[in-house]
Amino acid sequence: MEHARHVFRALLVLVVIMVAISLGRGFLIPRSFGVHGPYRFDNVAEQMAVRPPQHGGVASCAECHAAKAEKRAAGSHKTVSCETCHGVLTLHVTAGKRSAEMPIDRSFTLCARCHRKILGRPERFPQVVLEQHLHDQGASGPVQGQVCLDCHDAHSPKL
Amino acid sequence: MDPRAPSVNASGSTPGAPSSDDPSELARRRFLVNVLRLSGGALVMLAGVPGAEGSEPHAAGKGAGEGYDWNEHRYAYLIDTQRCIGCGSCVRACAAENEVPDGFFRTWIERYVVGMEDSHVDSPNGGKDGFPPIQVGFVATKHFFVPKMCNHCKETPCIQVCPVGASYRTRDGVVMVDGERCIGCAYCVQACPYGSRFINPVSHTAEKCTWCYHRITKGLKPACVEVCPTGTRQFGNMKREDDPVRQAIEHDRVAILQGHLLTEPQCFYLNLDREVR
Repeated sequence: MEHARHVFRALLVLVVIMVAISLGRGFLIPRSFGVHGPYRFDNVAEQMAVRPPQHGGVASCAECHAAKAEKRAAGSHKTVSCETCHGVLTLHVTAGKRSAEMPIDRSFTLCARCHRKILGRPERFPQVVLEQHLHDQGASGPVQGQVCLDCHDAHSPKL
Repeated sequence: MDPRAPSVNASGSTPGAPSSDDPSELARRRFLVNVLRLSGGALVMLAGVPGAEGSEPHAAGKGAGEGYDWNEHRYAYLIDTQRCIGCGSCVRACAAENEVPDGFFRTWIERYVVGMEDSHVDSPNGGKDGFPPIQVGFVATKHFFVPKMCNHCKETPCIQVCPVGASYRTRDGVVMVDGERCIGCAYCVQACPYGSRFINPVSHTAEKCTWCYHRITKGLKPACVEVCPTGTRQFGNMKREDDPVRQAIEHDRVAILQGHLLTEPQCFYLNLDREVR
């Protein structure tokens, strides 16, 4: 045995290295890593629950505002979701309870985002040259102060 | 001649078969066998336990959440550029739904104004506030908006370059970032040919479109699809045969962005112009 001591010494070093590696792996590699591939599988569940959905959809608005929803569904804005113009449901409702007044943007910029005539917009889409439209309707003053909603109903905009 | 001489020298070629009753020859053989076994074991340990996937093939195979089976879904996204009016509702909805910091975008809109002599592309604030009127110094023969976002590629460059396994693709086809693993090296930001990733200035980790994974796993549409007023953006499940998005991809002329890179994007475009990259 005397002449094999160097072998045992090498084996001891090997064993120490292996124990260090396995302990290190245990500490450094998360529990669910590698279950479905080289990533931490627990993150999939975390992403699913990262936050509650903020947009509720038309149906959730219609629960309280049925008349407005019906009017919208019958008009030419039927493809426009409530939250497209009003903003997310959670501004107004949290945990199923009304939490704050829904901010309503009555400025012309809200309408202009979709209906101002600019380069890029498809020709078929209804759009107006604001200055021309206001002139045609006999309005006075600059575009900035005008309110489209004075004449148009956003929920059923065709006059 | 001393019969032990070749084994002491260990110089290689031993003349004749080693005598099996030589004690030192046996010890050496045993030692070599043990070294092979140990190094093999060490290799297996370093490479990861092979049984982790094999031994329990469908442990949590239904996906991570209650009432949701990720084997029943394979998501795809369809964008009809002819319908987009550039209102920016999707960009605003995405920011509100996912707390995207100002100046960064998980989705954005580009405006193309194209003529025979020249072309112009702009995307002021990602289209978040809509688009202003512009004049161009050439004769514009066509002009259109193109919504852009993560293409959730099947063969993603961004996952390949991630050094810590923070980027991954789920079985239902969504590319996501594990913020807990991400070290913010931004390799993925550079690797993505579509520019759809960024480093969050608060968390300093990579962030990107998740197709609103917290919504779609509850049966809701992604926020951008939810608010799109013209039906430009559509979201579908390729595992359902009657799905309108799958139908369109199967039967219509769809295009993808930067197909030459072979990343197999899962965002499909209808009526895409050659000017768009």
